[in-house]
Amino acid sequence: MLMVQDLHKSYQVGKNTYEVLKGVSLQVETGEFVAVMGPSGSGKTTLLNCISCYIPADSGSIRLGDAELAKLDEEALAKVRNQKLGFVFQDFLLLDGLTVRENILLPAIIGGTVSALTEQRADQLCQVFGIAAIRDKYPAEISGGEKQRTAVARALVNHPLLILADEPTGNLDSKSSRAVIRSFEQAKEALSATIFMVTHDSFAASFCDRVVILRDGVVWRTLEKGATDRGAFQDELLDAIREMGRE
Amino acid sequence: MENFSEVYSALRRKNRKQYALLAGCCFFSVLLITAYVCMMRAPSILSVLPEGGDSRKQVMMVFVLAVIGCGVFTTYAAGLFFRQKSRETGVFLALGAARRQLKAELRKELAVISLGSCAAGAVLGGPLAWGVWQLFRMFLVDSQEMQLSFDPRSYLLSLAFAAYVTAMLFFLGGRSVRRTNIIDVVQESHKSEPIREVKRWYGPVGIVLLVIGGFLGYIMPSVFILGLHWYPPEGSTAIFYLPALVGLYMILLHTVVNGWRKSHRYKNIISTSMMKFQGRQTVRNMLVMTLLIAGAYFASFYAPMLGTGFMMSIENRPVDCAYHFRADQDIPGENEVRDLARRYDVDITSWAEAPMIRLGVDGTEHVEIDGKLGTTWKAEYRELMNSDLFFSESAYNALTGAAVDLAPGTVAGIFDADGSGQGIFGGGTTLLTNTITGRTLPVTPVEGLRNDTLFGRYVMDDGDYAAMAEGLSPEWREEMVLFNVENWAETYGFAKALFEEIVDRSGPEVEQYDAWDPVRKQQAVDAGEDYSFDREHLVENGFDYIDYDQRDSSDFRMYWLYMPQFRVLDKNDFVTTMAVFLMLFIFIALICFAAVIVIAYTRCMTIALTNRQVYDDLRHLGAPGAYLYRSVRGQVSKVFLVPCVVGTGLIYAFYAMIMYFNGDSVGFTTGEIAGMGTCLLVISAVSVLLYGVYRLTMRRVCRVLSICKSK
Repeated sequence: MLMVQDLHKSYQVGKNTYEVLKGVSLQVETGEFVAVMGPSGSGKTTLLNCISCYIPADSGSIRLGDAELAKLDEEALAKVRNQKLGFVFQDFLLLDGLTVRENILLPAIIGGTVSALTEQRADQLCQVFGIAAIRDKYPAEISGGEKQRTAVARALVNHPLLILADEPTGNLDSKSSRAVIRSFEQAKEALSATIFMVTHDSFAASFCDRVVILRDGVVWRTLEKGATDRGAFQDELLDAIREMGRE
Repeated sequence: MENFSEVYSALRRKNRKQYALLAGCCFFSVLLITAYVCMMRAPSILSVLPEGGDSRKQVMMVFVLAVIGCGVFTTYAAGLFFRQKSRETGVFLALGAARRQLKAELRKELAVISLGSCAAGAVLGGPLAWGVWQLFRMFLVDSQEMQLSFDPRSYLLSLAFAAYVTAMLFFLGGRSVRRTNIIDVVQESHKSEPIREVKRWYGPVGIVLLVIGGFLGYIMPSVFILGLHWYPPEGSTAIFYLPALVGLYMILLHTVVNGWRKSHRYKNIISTSMMKFQGRQTVRNMLVMTLLIAGAYFASFYAPMLGTGFMMSIENRPVDCAYHFRADQDIPGENEVRDLARRYDVDITSWAEAPMIRLGVDGTEHVEIDGKLGTTWKAEYRELMNSDLFFSESAYNALTGAAVDLAPGTVAGIFDADGSGQGIFGGGTTLLTNTITGRTLPVTPVEGLRNDTLFGRYVMDDGDYAAMAEGLSPEWREEMVLFNVENWAETYGFAKALFEEIVDRSGPEVEQYDAWDPVRKQQAVDAGEDYSFDREHLVENGFDYIDYDQRDSSDFRMYWLYMPQFRVLDKNDFVTTMAVFLMLFIFIALICFAAVIVIAYTRCMTIALTNRQVYDDLRHLGAPGAYLYRSVRGQVSKVFLVPCVVGTGLIYAFYAMIMYFNGDSVGFTTGEIAGMGTCLLVISAVSVLLYGVYRLTMRRVCRVLSICKSK
């Protein structure tokens, strides 16, 4: 469903050019919950931003479903972001002037697809993520965990092919983090969502089916959870990170 | 909520304060500019501001400052608005909104904001100007000339400014949506405004540039005209003021970033670092405020300088009453005047009258030449250039009580007591001509005499006078009358009646502008040209119309060739005669000060709103109320007080420089010193007002940030 091949991206800072992604290739299948981990500067967020169509890649290819993103014009990319992708940001990016329910409906409103069915789906998402009681409240009136669950519900409202999450637990306490990860699991199980998450948090990553570890702009190692217990998988992740640090 | 417009509408409700701030700034700017333009272009105002005259140039200069100030201010407000709005824009783009969707919504919003606020400002600007003017008339001074009428064409300038505001809003709005990097847009609101490193030499170098620019800007027009004999294109010499502007910017940068006093490194670390990272906008705002304050004071100084100087000159006149008239006019003589005085219970304590003759004089003419480099001039000597009035030495002695004894073949010019009028009257003629008989007399100018009332005339040897007067017809002869009265301050009725009588009995042939000269007139007639100072050509040449029916107008009182000098009349009627000038400049000062207050207040409130989180964090770190208060004061006082101090000091120094170099003799006259003293009083009064506004703003900012000094 998502295929990234030989992706390169560099930034120009003054006279210096920094190559952040040096040929990243990876694949995400439908219904998978994949995390990308790696130290600061390894290129995690840049990779996510390229997949999100927020920044153009220098070379390489990103295929989402049957669409080659590099070949799309701006209007078509906007449509991809709206219809095929769902986003969850570290600092939530909810609009303060809209209620929880209105924030959830926002992608549908932008796409001009609001109908009774969409509203019903928004309400259903509120139920699934335990935010039905606060759906008429404004972001300023709810907790960080509730905000992030609202963001997850918003990401799912348009039935996207893929949810992209950038450090979704980065601003949350452990209880709220657990609730958000639980909401991802629910999205995967109940709504067959495909999730691609960038995180520093080995606890959050241990819930994923697969973890891709980046180092210096390339894929260093990919760990499959398989039938492993979550706790053991987290240990495996921590061992891998320790090993990377020793190299 | 089903469509994008409804989302925008909901967000508008939530962010109504930001919308109100932007709309308010646009409205206020257009309102001020419209009010200013309406006043500046009003026919009744224009009629008293001579075309090309200093007053009109000053009004225009302050207008340009006001336009720049309001322009920068609205651009700043718009920038702030879009910066705050960028988060929404980024979220919409991130969630898949197309730019065309956002543009369409933004256009609708901006159309409402810009058209609504600009239209309201433009519509209310005229009534505001009219209302303020009527208040002046009601509470300060009223005269026939104070009747105000507006020229509908003045709205064109107002519309031009409104068009700028609208275009600027749409441009910045379009740019905020066009930005391609969504990540940048999302993070825009977290960005600070860094400024480049400011070296400590910025301050001193800024001061040097300021002084150099101010001096060059003032002196260069004279260098070009007098030194190079070249008239630079109108306004082009303003470029020499540029170093002053750069210097001012450097001074403000240094003040904001480094400060002038070497205080303890950590004492003001919070306020200083916060100011640094909002530097560009802060300094730009402060620069605009400084210029507006300078403009406002420049306008404010007009009334005290003019009033004090004029009042002192009236007080210093050697006689209470003086008038002169052509010998062919039937003007009241001593008996009639004494009769009139008796009717008004006025006691005339001394009386002196003496004849004068008008003779042609030689001189050097500036002949203008249009060439590739523009207009240049060359000096050409003319044996008969214009005419001047001459007393015999005995007549002068009779009028003044002096004992002047001139040698034959010499003349002495009469200058004013402080020598400030030497630029107007040179007193250096060397050849006299009887324009009727053609007789000439070469003369040598000797050391000048001093007398304010008789300023601009010459004194010559009695024998020479008699010889040159021979054959002159009455039109070339005049009579000068000087007299004193008991308790002059209580003789207004008599003075007014005598003035009316003199005007009533003056014929149309002397209904002339004070620059009218019979020799020049004859030269124009001989050359088959129109004479600029003839009544029928005055207005087309940009001069004021002289009309006996408008004898109380400022034009008539200031520019009639035979205007009497009655101390009590001039003193009592000064305010009404000069009402339009005085009120116009007070109006301009009000507009500029209002703009300064609004800009400063808005900037300070912006600091409060954008730094709320910082103060919350400091509070969490245990900062006491007094510390937070000091930190807020550090910022607000810089935004408010620095432009006030710099702008005030700057314009006062500039004014002092103008006064110092004004006239032919370098230095201050007594009138100028008194005027500058009065200006200091104006500064004190305005400073108290501005300090009051600063205190109110400070209180409001603290309330917004929930800071209490004592806690």
